[in-house]
Amino acid sequence: MRAIIIFLFSFLLMYVDFLFAEFSPMTLGGVEVYFVPRALLMFILLVSVYASPQMSVLLSVVFGAMLDLYIGSIYGIHTFGMVAFVLFMHTAFRVFHKDFVAMAFVVLFLILFYDMYIFFIYRLLDMVNLPAFDYLALRAAPSLLLNALIFILVFIIALKTSRIRKEVLPKH
Amino acid sequence: MNRLFNRNRMLIILFGIIILIILIGFSISDRSSTTKAEQFTADAAAGSQMIIDAPLNFAGSIFTSIRQSFNAVEENERLKAQLEMLPQMQADLERLETENEELREALEVSSKQSYESINARVISRSPDQWLDNFTIDKGEADGINEGMAVMTTEGLIGTVARANGGSSYVEMLTTSVSQNNLSVEIMHEGNPIYGNIREYDTERNLLVIENIKNRSGLARGDEVLTSGLVGDYPEGLLIGTVVEVQNDEYGLSQNAYVQMKGNVDDVDVVFVIERNPESMEE
Repeated sequence: MRAIIIFLFSFLLMYVDFLFAEFSPMTLGGVEVYFVPRALLMFILLVSVYASPQMSVLLSVVFGAMLDLYIGSIYGIHTFGMVAFVLFMHTAFRVFHKDFVAMAFVVLFLILFYDMYIFFIYRLLDMVNLPAFDYLALRAAPSLLLNALIFILVFIIALKTSRIRKEVLPKH
Repeated sequence: MNRLFNRNRMLIILFGIIILIILIGFSISDRSSTTKAEQFTADAAAGSQMIIDAPLNFAGSIFTSIRQSFNAVEENERLKAQLEMLPQMQADLERLETENEELREALEVSSKQSYESINARVISRSPDQWLDNFTIDKGEADGINEGMAVMTTEGLIGTVARANGGSSYVEMLTTSVSQNNLSVEIMHEGNPIYGNIREYDTERNLLVIENIKNRSGLARGDEVLTSGLVGDYPEGLLIGTVVEVQNDEYGLSQNAYVQMKGNVDDVDVVFVIERNPESMEE
């Protein structure tokens, strides 16, 4: 049952990503600023902590493939990236467990690195030619802000759907 | 960190990278059809997205109609004035069209310029926002095939890259994938001058056209159209206007910088152009 709920929420968050992407790019003071939402990836990373890493890997394969086939020009980028980042998260989380602040930092940094990884692959394939500094100022930083906001929403959903709630917060 | 790089994991990661490279190669290669598995997955995503989007679109349309009703009276009068000339123009158009058809049949030629258009709505853009590609809500079932031209009301903007059952994936002219050697003609004082699209200059937001013959006399403001010589594109789809002409680095030919007519940032409704199949036989 929990697996089905987690799956449905991942599905919904995928469309939350699409929705947020409609507002971007915004033109602020003559420059185009890009906000790249990554609610789905954040959710999958949190699932790897709160539910099970195996489930996370499965989710990232399914949704990564879906994203690739639906809106991707280059196949495999999302599938491979998501699985790799779930494994990173899993490794990182042996070190600091159950510390909220550390976890938020790790998730947000992984989101940042994920965007950089996609930027790197597109640069490698010569599909985009944005200078690295422009990338950091106009894409990476604003996306990090947006994702920090989305993180609150995703964190609540992840808590509600996970079993931690029953173990740690039984009396609330 | 040791656990991440033990032997099994190392193998899995290396294996994953190899698969990634194979997939990248597969997607860059020039394919002319879409596999059933791709079609199914993309259609499932598109279908569920349309369901989720429906209530949001409904709410959005209420707000737009409220906003539009404020200047409706003014607009109504302006449109009425235009409308009075319309019946005469339509009659003329029909007469000319039949006449054209008769003459063409008499000559037994098929026009490279004739085409039919299919209306479609943009349903999603990639949240990555790296490549400005998008998905539309019409697919193979509506007669869309890979390689067809996609236009807005202003001009050409892209090509259908993958046609699924009920949705299609469109690549923009501004991304390097779809502009490979798209042949264009530039109209200068009634004469076509041929060239092909090289790249999209992201700093100046202009399309670069190469291999234009020297001393062509191109000037600012000349119109750029598709030539109909390559692929499924009919002749005469408007792309943009020339902004600047330069000699290339060897002085053998000229490059033109072109301002695209279609607005690539804000696409909502598009037309997919189906070329008249009779003209493609030769």
